[in-house]
Amino acid sequence: MTEKLAILWPEIFLFIATCLVMITGQWPSRAIRQFTPWICAVALFAAFFAALISPTTSGMFPAIVPYAKMLIAGVGMLILLLLSGTVDRELEAEVDAGKPFSSLRSNRGEFYAFFMFSLTGLMLTASADDLIWLFLALELTSLPTYIMVAISTERKKSLEAAVKYFFLGALGAAIFLYGFALIYGATGSTNLSEIATVFATDGVSTLGMIGLLIAIIGISFKIAAVPMHFYTPDVYQGAASPVAAMLAFVPKTAGFLALMFILGTAGWNDGFAGSGGHLPVAIEATLWIMAALTMTVGNVLALLQTSIKRILAYSSIAHSGYMLVGLIAGPGIIGGPFYQNGLAAVLFYLLTYGVMTVGVFAVLASLEHRNGDEADDMDDIRGLCKSHPVLGWTLVICTFSMLGFPPLIGFLGKVGLFTSGMAAGQYALIVILGINSAIAACYYLRMIAAAYIDDPGKISSPVFLAPFPMRRVAGVLSAFCVLFLLVFAQPLVNGAYHAAKYVPAAADEIEEPYADDQIIQKTQEEIALID
Amino acid sequence: MMTASLLNNLLAPLAMLAPGSSGSDEPASAHLAHMTEHVGTGPKWILLIVFLPLLGFVFNAIYAASGNKSKLPAWTTIALLAVAFLATLSMFLSYDGTPYTVHAFDWFNLHYGEKSFVANFSFYIDKLTILWMLFVTGLATLIALYASEYMSHDIGTGYCRFFSAFGLFVFSMSCLVMGDNMLMLYLGWEGVGLCSYLLIGYFYKKPSAVAAAKKAFIVNRIGDLGLALGIYLTFVHFGTVEYAALFSNETLHHYIDAAVAGDFSAIPSEAQWIAMLLMVGAFGKSAQFPLYVWLPDAMEGPTPVSALIHAATMVTAGVYLIARFYPLFLVSENALPIVAWIGTITALLAATIGMAQFDIKRIMAYSTVSQLGYMFAGLGLLSTTGAAFHVLTHAFFKALLFLACGAVMHGFAGQLDLRKLSGVSWMKGWGIVGITMLIGCMNLAGLPYITSGFYSKDMILAEAFVTPGYRLMGWVLVFTAIMTAYYTFRVFFRVFLGDQHAEPGEDFHGDDTNDFHPHAPGWAINTVLITLAACSMLAIALAWIDKSAYHGWVGSMVADSTASFHSPYAVSLAAAHGEGNPAAVAGPVGYGAPGKVLGMDPHGGMIVVSGLGAIFGVLVAAFFHGPKGWQGLFLGGRTQADKCRMDAIAKRAGPIPRWAENKWFVDEFYAMVFVTPLRVVSHIFHWIDKLLLDGLVNLFGFLPRVLAWIIRPSQSGVLQGYAVSMAGGLAVLLLVVIVIVLRAGGAA
Repeated sequence: MTEKLAILWPEIFLFIATCLVMITGQWPSRAIRQFTPWICAVALFAAFFAALISPTTSGMFPAIVPYAKMLIAGVGMLILLLLSGTVDRELEAEVDAGKPFSSLRSNRGEFYAFFMFSLTGLMLTASADDLIWLFLALELTSLPTYIMVAISTERKKSLEAAVKYFFLGALGAAIFLYGFALIYGATGSTNLSEIATVFATDGVSTLGMIGLLIAIIGISFKIAAVPMHFYTPDVYQGAASPVAAMLAFVPKTAGFLALMFILGTAGWNDGFAGSGGHLPVAIEATLWIMAALTMTVGNVLALLQTSIKRILAYSSIAHSGYMLVGLIAGPGIIGGPFYQNGLAAVLFYLLTYGVMTVGVFAVLASLEHRNGDEADDMDDIRGLCKSHPVLGWTLVICTFSMLGFPPLIGFLGKVGLFTSGMAAGQYALIVILGINSAIAACYYLRMIAAAYIDDPGKISSPVFLAPFPMRRVAGVLSAFCVLFLLVFAQPLVNGAYHAAKYVPAAADEIEEPYADDQIIQKTQEEIALID
Repeated sequence: MMTASLLNNLLAPLAMLAPGSSGSDEPASAHLAHMTEHVGTGPKWILLIVFLPLLGFVFNAIYAASGNKSKLPAWTTIALLAVAFLATLSMFLSYDGTPYTVHAFDWFNLHYGEKSFVANFSFYIDKLTILWMLFVTGLATLIALYASEYMSHDIGTGYCRFFSAFGLFVFSMSCLVMGDNMLMLYLGWEGVGLCSYLLIGYFYKKPSAVAAAKKAFIVNRIGDLGLALGIYLTFVHFGTVEYAALFSNETLHHYIDAAVAGDFSAIPSEAQWIAMLLMVGAFGKSAQFPLYVWLPDAMEGPTPVSALIHAATMVTAGVYLIARFYPLFLVSENALPIVAWIGTITALLAATIGMAQFDIKRIMAYSTVSQLGYMFAGLGLLSTTGAAFHVLTHAFFKALLFLACGAVMHGFAGQLDLRKLSGVSWMKGWGIVGITMLIGCMNLAGLPYITSGFYSKDMILAEAFVTPGYRLMGWVLVFTAIMTAYYTFRVFFRVFLGDQHAEPGEDFHGDDTNDFHPHAPGWAINTVLITLAACSMLAIALAWIDKSAYHGWVGSMVADSTASFHSPYAVSLAAAHGEGNPAAVAGPVGYGAPGKVLGMDPHGGMIVVSGLGAIFGVLVAAFFHGPKGWQGLFLGGRTQADKCRMDAIAKRAGPIPRWAENKWFVDEFYAMVFVTPLRVVSHIFHWIDKLLLDGLVNLFGFLPRVLAWIIRPSQSGVLQGYAVSMAGGLAVLLLVVIVIVLRAGGAA
């Protein structure tokens, strides 16, 4: 228990902040209300440093906690900057006009509390060592986001998106909970290490395998992978841009961490010695199909869009597809180099994806029409480099990075996925990944061309800067990271590499005596060998 | 190849000479081996020479960004370059005769198995390096001072841009000359090419300047390809690109010994090809036939650039390249004869064109091409000393000539047509320009005894006359020297002497748009002109000091470098002159008497032949172009700026003068033979690309869209539809996986 507590300090800090912001958000005094995000920021800083000194644990992924939680706290801070001004805009305007503050109509407290809850859930996912824990953590990550989508704007579309997201999310949760139940049924344990030991000792039974497959497909709702991706564009478009940015990073990270843990129980051992191993055939086939379909569907559907948020939603789907390749590749040979380690590639890619996607959403969030509608259409970003150079270049840099353009960090992330896939012998999947990167260039370059080459021209409803400088700060910081994290890429890559350390479960020490038929089979094999 | 036998001829006597050359049985490569055996490590302050100009580049970029509108960029550049020059000077004074390297930082340092590829950011200092760096940094400082006044009409961003490119140029040139490996040389080579491009296109709003910049860059690419391949082949064959390792390579020493013995069959053709490839690079950078066409057009750049880059320093990089890799050229059967003949052809061809031009800066440009031809001829004739000496004297007097022409251009609103100017020397404030121009012209013409240009040219000419089989080349070069004297003094007699007359050009600047009056150069320009004139004259002394080695001080500088090689004829000549060279004293009698010119020893003969030739050329120029009276040496009869006796002859000579004025239509010939066919081919490929390949690409680009249209209905936006699709997707996926697993199980 104390061992568990030692790695939970980040969550504890976040939870304290959650409780505080619920109160300060409703405070009648404007100064204290506006202090709310700063509490979150302080908590995130505290969590970051608490994560930095987290001890390693025992289990399959003993070193994942520090990296994952620092990643969550770091990108969380970018998102926090971006979230500024999302709620209570009209209310505060009314207060300015002289009306009294009504805490009943204020959403600020809930909004930031739910954000912190979601991040707490995400961190708890990273700490998970048990199926029940994992389920609760995943749901703690997702449930607040449903409400955040609903209250992020005053439009009906947000409500519609939230309802869709909630029902489909519930369906997804039901599916993977069913999978968890089957796994428990097959192994008699909810502890991930124990499950892994059982699988290693007895092999994966059919019931266990079906449980694993259903759990994987269910969790794929969180990462927006085929066939659980349908909600993504509608929800992203319905939510305010800052919340959409959060949806692109937080549930995806939770999903990938959960998938790593679930896959870890079955292990990447089912292969030839020295090659780094493979997942069991059924799981590999499932993930293979999901990866191929996810990237293709995401990229292909993005081609037809003119709404930037929908493009980003589809690109979020596509990026999940890319990262699935890393999961299929697995950790490679134990102690092997970074470029063979698919899990390290995924962990690093989550960081790069989080940074660059926040950058693009920050540009959208910083622009609005005169009637307060957010910028979303391709026309809204036309000529942005000329009309708003800082935002324009932020968009260009981050989009180039998403495209995987060397030498930006998006490229470095993708290189890891490519090389680990190659090392695992997944050549067909790598070809599909390559083709998809080319298709993706089509719509990313359209965005870049719109911002950089096109003239602002005459647009029926021009866009203006939104009055929230923090959002621009988030964008510029992201672009800065995209450009300059290159210099520090080595420590980050090393961090991801150490975090991806995977300890395969050993078969149970107590060897059961061979059953008679096994002995006969074994003898026959030996005879065959001698012959 | 015909020339092959010539090189055999060239080297054969050495085979007899070599054993006795220093009184022992040392092979010919011994000197090289001895020199590169112990390469020491030098002090770090040497790095100042390279990095101070780079600092100038950085400062000027900052000035440009901060919108500086003063002469600060010029003073910064001048100060930094002056310190670099002083550092070079102290490098020269502290040099103790042993080559050394100075390491800045690791650049490429790869080791794989037994092999390695090392090319660090390091510098190799020997006397050849020092010789080159002395005039590069010295002239750069002077010309920066000149430019501070010359470019003053562009103060602001243009001024910063000019001086930042200037700094970058000197940095690149230092890398080229001082680099301790071929990759550093290549870095500098491309760097100076870039700066040349930037500075030729300095007036980027002028289409002709942009075209000239592009032409220079593209023509140089051809040469640079040769250089790159040469470096590659060197690495492949010798396994290193570092000078110290390359020149102390024993294989190379064996090759040299074989070459000196005349046994070229013992040298693999791969090693012989290195020199042929490097040579192409040298031809491009040093504007030799057939790649010389870019240099005259490069005069579109500001005149200080023409003086520094396109006359004194960058264009001599080709000479440096061949001198630096002389051992590689010696082991190639055909390279040096080709270098010699290409140089001779270039010298002659450029001189004929220069005679018929009317733009004084272009005349100087063709004369640069022509003089570079002399240097290449010197290299090809085994007289590296002659070539290096000519590089040095030419750097001074040609920079001087360009800067004097630039002063005229500056003062007369861009006027360069010699038919529209006359008697400039007599105008108020132009006396210094006139006198210094006269000194420059005398040097270029090579008037005997009193000019340094005469001594350096003499070394090359004499070498041609005494080398068996090269007498024809000698006469061609003497004939070219007469033409040189003619076209040089043609400019002087017409522009600087005679009645005063000036029509302004079209480049008005400042407020004198309506009311033109020539403005005489200021103190900066005059100071630089006087200094350069003095240097040109003082360079005569270099031929006389340090006579213990052959051919004076420059000879001693070359002798202690990888360019060290003395033709057997030079050795015998030294004996003939009684110069105190042990080799000459010990020279075998059987090797034959030194060549004679008109029954005299070659140098004495040259004084007669080329000296009288030069005077003859000057007199011809005076007769045809000189003004009436003493200014035309009582020969001339010109009274107007645009009319002279030559006009009548030119009319009678048919189309030839017009052809010469049109540069023998070489540009048109290149356009017809290379540019047009390439353009046609590129259009054909363009259409193939557009119709066929783009069609294919578009087809493949279209497929994802078709796919998108097919699956788009799945995103209906209906909640129930999504839920059903999710559940259905789960079911289908599971089913497919079960099938896959069963099949895999069945197969196993």
